Order: sequence, then C-alpha cells, then structure tokens
Amino acid sequence: MTTSASAATPRTPRQLAWTRRRRAVAKFWGDYSQNRAGLFGLAVLALFVLAALLVPWIVGEDALSVTRPAGEPLQPPSGEFWLGTDRSGRSVLDLILWGSRVSLTVGFAATFISIALGSLIGILAGHFHGWLSGLLLRITDWFLVMPTLVLAVALAAVLGRSLSTIIIAIGVTSWPTTARLVRAQTLAVEARPYIERARALGGGHWHVMTRHVLPNVMPIVLAQTTLMVAGAILTESTVAFLGLGDPTVPSWGSTIQAARDTGAVSSGMWWYILPPGIAIALVALAFTLCGRAIEGVLNPRLRSR
Amino acid sequence: MFRTNHRGRGFSTAVSGLLITLLACVTTLFAGSGASADTKDEKTLTIAVSQEVDSLSPFLAVRRITTAIGRLSYDFLTNYDPKTGKTIPALAESWSTSEDGLTWTYKIRDTKWTDGQPITAEDARWTFDTMMKDEAAATANGNFVENFETVSAPDPRTLVVKLKAPQATMLALDVPILPKHKWEKVTDFAKFNNDQEFPIVGSGPWIVSAYDVNNSITLTPNKDFWRGAPKFDKLVFRYIDDSDAQVEALKAGEVDFVSGLTPAQATALESADNITVNKAKGKRFQAITLNPGAKLQDGTAFGDGNKALQDPIVREALVRTIDREAIYKTAYGGFGEANGGYIPSRYADYHWQPEGDAVIGFDIAKANSLLDGAGYAKGSDGIRAKGALKLSFRFNVHGDNPQYIQAAEMMREWAKEAGIELKVEPVSEVGALLDAGTYDILTTGWSVNPDPDYILGINRCSGLPAKVGGPYLSDAYYCNPEYDKLYAAQLAELDPAKRAGIVKQMEEILYKDNVFVVWGYADQLEAFRSDTIGSMQPQPDPGGNYDSQDGYWSWWSATPAGEDSGAASGDDGGSNSGLLVGGGAVVLAALAAGLVLMRRRGGATADDRE
Repeated sequence: MTTSASAATPRTPRQLAWTRRRRAVAKFWGDYSQNRAGLFGLAVLALFVLAALLVPWIVGEDALSVTRPAGEPLQPPSGEFWLGTDRSGRSVLDLILWGSRVSLTVGFAATFISIALGSLIGILAGHFHGWLSGLLLRITDWFLVMPTLVLAVALAAVLGRSLSTIIIAIGVTSWPTTARLVRAQTLAVEARPYIERARALGGGHWHVMTRHVLPNVMPIVLAQTTLMVAGAILTESTVAFLGLGDPTVPSWGSTIQAARDTGAVSSGMWWYILPPGIAIALVALAFTLCGRAIEGVLNPRLRSR
Repeated sequence: MFRTNHRGRGFSTAVSGLLITLLACVTTLFAGSGASADTKDEKTLTIAVSQEVDSLSPFLAVRRITTAIGRLSYDFLTNYDPKTGKTIPALAESWSTSEDGLTWTYKIRDTKWTDGQPITAEDARWTFDTMMKDEAAATANGNFVENFETVSAPDPRTLVVKLKAPQATMLALDVPILPKHKWEKVTDFAKFNNDQEFPIVGSGPWIVSAYDVNNSITLTPNKDFWRGAPKFDKLVFRYIDDSDAQVEALKAGEVDFVSGLTPAQATALESADNITVNKAKGKRFQAITLNPGAKLQDGTAFGDGNKALQDPIVREALVRTIDREAIYKTAYGGFGEANGGYIPSRYADYHWQPEGDAVIGFDIAKANSLLDGAGYAKGSDGIRAKGALKLSFRFNVHGDNPQYIQAAEMMREWAKEAGIELKVEPVSEVGALLDAGTYDILTTGWSVNPDPDYILGINRCSGLPAKVGGPYLSDAYYCNPEYDKLYAAQLAELDPAKRAGIVKQMEEILYKDNVFVVWGYADQLEAFRSDTIGSMQPQPDPGGNYDSQDGYWSWWSATPAGEDSGAASGDDGGSNSGLLVGGGAVVLAALAAGLVLMRRRGGATADDRE
C-alpha cells in the first residue's frame, strides 16, 4: 500500500518521520477498515456531515420560514413532504437537515473545548508531581461531580438562551473524564525509559510534554473525542427539549420539543416526533461506533476479542 | 479500567438518543397508571387540571383552578345565567337600589351552610367588611369593595351596602360569601389557606371534602343545595401536569374531562370513540404589551425598556407587521378569531372592534413607509435606527405556551421585513421582568368576565405600582387620563346601554394607543367522555364552554351518561352524528339508540371491574 513511500530512500530525518507517519496512517486505516461497525459509523457520519455542509444549497434558508411555509401545518408524509410538515407547515425533513448543522456544531465545538481543556490539564497533572498535580486533580474531581445538565440549565437561565451558552456549558462540565484519562496515559508514557533518555539529553518540561507525551496520548484523546461528541449532541438535544434552547434555531431537540408542545404524541403524529429522535440516535450511534473502532485499532488487546 | 467505562457509556449514549424521543411518550403513559378506584355504582366525574393550587382560601385564591373551586363550594350574592350571561339571583333572592345608586339592599335567601347553620346577612356583611378592613383578605377580590362606604345587616335577611360613588358591578360581585362562624376565628388571613379542616363548610353545590396536595381535590355533592343537588356522587379534580398525559388519561377513561387542548389534539380526538370535543368561543384574549416606558404612580420612570417604543409611530409600525389572521390560522390551527378588540366577541354587549380606516391591520409596506417618514433608517445589518434609538427589541414570551412561541416566531419574521429586530426570548415567568420594567415586549392573555369592570380597571393610571417592585395588576404600564375619566364614567353609569357605549370608547382608545395589542381570541378546546357524562350545561348556550364558566353550571348540571335517558340519548346522538356524516339519517337514529345501550352496558362492566 505504501510502496512508493517505502521504496524511496529516505535522506533527511524529516522525510524519515513523514514516511513513518504515512505508514502508520495506512496501517491504522487498514486495521480500521477491518471493523465493519466502524465503517458503518463512519459512513453515517459522513452522510450527516455532508448534509450539514450542503444544506444551504440543497434546501435553502426559505425552508425555515414560519410565515411563508411550503405546506399546510401538520400534514402526514406525502410525495412532496417525505416526513410530513411541522406545526408551521415546514417540511420536517428540511428541519432535520438544518438541525444537523446545530447538532454537529454543538457536538464538535463542545468536544473541542472539553478535549483541549482535558488534555492540557491531564498532561500537566501527569507530568508535574507535587502540589500542582494535587491542585489540578482536586479541581478535576470537583468538576467531575458537577452535573452537566443542571449546570447547562443554570447557565442558560443566566446567560440567556443561545447555542454558545449550551456549548460552554457542555464544554466546561465534560472535560474531567478526558483529564483523568490523559493523566493516566501520561504517567504510563513518562515511566518509559526513552523519556528518561530524553531528559538525560537535556529535554526540558516543554520538550517532553509536547514532543513525547502529547503524540503518545493523542490516540486516546482521539478515541475519547469521538465518544464525547455523541454525549455533547445528546446534551444539546436534551437542553433544547427542556425548552432552554433558542426556539428560533431549528435543532433536533427543539423540533422534538415543538412536536411535544403541539400534542404530537397524543395526536399520533409520529412523523413529527420520531424522525428528529432517530436522527439524534443515529448520529450518537455513529460516533460511538467510530470511537470504539478507533479504540480497537489502538489497543491490540481489544482486537483479539 | 477505562475500557469498560467507555463501552458502558457508549452504549448508554446511543440508547438514550432514542430515549429522548420516547421520554415524551413514557411520561404520557405514567399518568394513566394511577387509576382512581371507584367504589361500586358511585358515579365519579374526574376533571384533569394542570394548575397547582395557590390557596383554598377565597380571600387569597386567584388562579383559575382555585377560583373555580371557590365558585363550586361557596355561593355568591348573584350568578350569571348560563344561557345569556345576564345576572340572576343566587344567595341574594332579590335586590333594590336607591335613586342615587349609592345604597344597595339585598334580600338574602333563607338557606343553610353545609354544617346545618343558617346563612344570614351577617355572614355576607362579615365577608365584605373583612375585605374592606384587612388588606390580606382583599388580595383576591379587593377591587369589588374599594368603593364601599359601609356594609350592614339590619336583620338576618337584609344586607345593605352604602357606596362612596355609584358602582356598576354591584350585581356582579364575584365574591364567595364565607361562613362567619367558621372564619371569624382566623387570626391571619394572609397565612390561612383553608386546607386544614375537611369537609370545608360552604354553601355551593359541591363540598370540598379532601385535598391531596398536587394530586387531587375531591368534592362531594351538597344534597341540600337550594337550586338542586348535583347528579354525580363525586367530583374529582386530578392534577396531571402534561397536556399529552391528560389526553391519554381521557382516552383511557382515567379522567372524564380535559380542557386546554392543543388544536392538533382536538382534531385527533374528534375521531376517538366515546369522546366529544367541544370548541367554545374564547373568553380570553391573547395579546402583547409594548413597554411604553414603565412609570410609577408619581411619574418616576424606571426599568430599561427600549425608548423607541415610546414613539407612537414605532408602535403603530410594529403592530402593522402583525398578521393576526395568520397567527390564528397557523398557531391556533384555525380554532380562534383574529380580532383587535379588548373585550372578546362572545360578550357582544361590550365587544368593540375597529372598522374601516380605524383598523391598524397587517401592512408591512405601510410599516416601512411610517418608519421611513419618522426618520428611522435601515443600517448595514438591516435594522432601522434613529440616532441612539435602534429598533431591536427583546420579546419575552411565556415559554410554557407553545402558541405564543409559534406566534412570536412568526412576528419575528414579519418585523424583520420592516427593519425591526425582535429577539425572541422564552421565559418561565414574566413577573420579575414586569416588576422591574426590564422588558420591551411581553406576551400576555387575560380571561374576561361577563362584566368588563375588572379587565378595564387594570389599565388605569391609579393601577400603576406605587414603588418599584410594588403590586401591579396589569402588564402594560398603560396610563391615559382620558381612559381613566371614561372608566369612572362607566362605573357610575347604571344604564346598561349607555355604559356599554362608554366601555366601547375605552376599547377604542386602548386600540389606538398600541400599548396593549390584542391579537384575538383563541377557542377554548375541551373534550369529555360521552360514556361518563350524558349532558352538561354550556355557557353561553349554545356554543359555550364547560370549563372555567362564570358560575357552577357545568359541574352542577352534569348528568351521568345513561341516567337521564332523554338528555343523554339526545346528546350522544348529536355528538356521534359528527362521526357518521354521510351514513344516512335513517340509520342514525337506530345507531344512536344502540350506542347508548352499549355504552350503558360498557359503563356498568367498567364499574364492576373497578
């Protein structure tokens, strides 16, 4: 697979490193593609990301207008509206396509905050010993017991209802798990002899942390990221479902909430309430499958089972 | 170690994705599980309610649920005819007024409290007198006695009220008369909630006999009620918070009456078996109030309302962007009437609506030209501004009212076309924003009584708070001396036709000022089990509502299905005909009779099972 790269004779250390990396990625993909569930997850994910990126061109912003809706309110699925219409007469399918933008944005943004914070604190706590480590760990413990949803609700009440509030709320409450994981991995990595060798050759804290520890904890961070996005999307939907989202932004959670407010459950309007729920479940599942597949590739002990 | 952790979390995450949808359905089903056990042959009428009880003391109760219970358990001096809404005798058999309209004499009916003590004029005197003297006792109905000079009871059957100035509401005193022998022992009316001793001694058709906090209120019939005893053996108000859960409970027969349906629920229930849907003309208006600059009684301005709304042209332009028809067509599913008049059209005597050129209707082009003319120019962001005044308004919507939210979303889009930005912010309650004056636009809705005095009175200048955070009845900070003058005039006018004329002038002033902007009146959507309830008295009749009536008519008159054969079969036939349209008129009669029989049988077996 990587014949051309390996065939060429490496000359500089940089080329050498790139060759090694390319080979690692190829091997990673080779292993990953063995995992069917992982491939399925990736495909579903690609589909949603594509939809989210292309929706302004596929559907257009007009589809979200409540004053100039495309159809009559609360129509069951038909040839024109595959998933029926909502309480304002908008196509539920269009709402879900637009909603994917919100859900994925929140999912990725919140995860980014969470992973960045978690990795930083995790590496610091693992690398340094003594009071700094202790302090960071106590802070981590404190945030670990803080309930995400309650904090999100409280923040939404104080900061007003907006997507950024939800992103911040999820971000600042979900990093402790990552920090704990990263710290454990950091401790394991730093116990290896080559770190000692690096130190002996004059490598400072910064060099050890960025050059040796970070690349080694990256795989676990990657796995953690994919798993965390699912949780973040879910929290966003829950907060919107509780009516704390911005009602003018069509997210999956707010669509479910609107459906429930309309009385869709007792009126049997399944097309209004089920599709956004299934979309949430699908994306969460896709991220989880990818995460587990990555985990399996990185951890050979998992693969044998 | 964290491997297992991951796996568990991964699975639960994926599964909870579906759960979030199912949650809605599950909560719905929970409500149905707590079946109320009927004893054999006991006819129970169960009504689903979603409001929590504020107080069972009529001095304090202001919520719909508790004022309704006050109506059922205590008689008032007068009542409203169920068909026409006109005043009819109740505890007062008859009345007369002096030439100058300042002295009113009521003849009190010779009847008994539910503990056997006689009801006398002294009870009524004590009730009014306490409300005049004790501020806490005036919490709920103080507006009725503000203008009272003295109240006296020269003999047990005669009540005399002397007024400071003529008052038009003397035959619409919606005040529960309380038993003095029970209530005079109460020391602090602000703290007494009347929920310690059951059954509660009263004088209405129903007796409050049990109260299970946040679960149910049970009433038993007053067999000696002078107008006749209720026909059901028990009346239960069951607390079910969720609207979908209420509907499911109705379908399952756990409750017999549900009100406040969404348009979608009403439409779906119309095709359900044994359920009759009632669409009554609304007695409530839906509206927004535009902050005209919150002021105290002494004129001190407070709060941080956008000053642009103090410009009448901006207010008119904003109102011009509201398509009332579209709101009722979409958000209310066609179940409602778009109308800018302050008093709902079901009160034909007092209802006023703009006509011809007076209509400030939906016209975005006009809104744009108004704002252009007034010097509000569009900025680079498409939002108009004049100097520091930017037409960007906070729009606080009752978060628990889906129709308001939907209407707000629509208004946001229309306003945008006129260069006005509405920032829709749902809130759980508007009280704090209102008290502090920190709002620009609020949604609101008021229930209107047959007598318009109260709903007109809230918008007087004297109704403004005396200090920031002080009590304020209305939610508009409206103050117009001309309106106040007319209010005093209508209160003193005893000729109904002339009074109605003044009331309509007041509505016109309110409409033109564009501070209290009424959208219209949503229908009251209710449904009941036709296999439990044979017939009930709507108000007004025909086309009226059963829930939150003026009077106790519906629950007092409700007849168990199959008991009063004449009324029951007639009613059932009527309700079923809707389902059987096109089925043939000849077959209909036979079917109706058959169904009544089947229902009676079904009801009996259900009772036996329980």
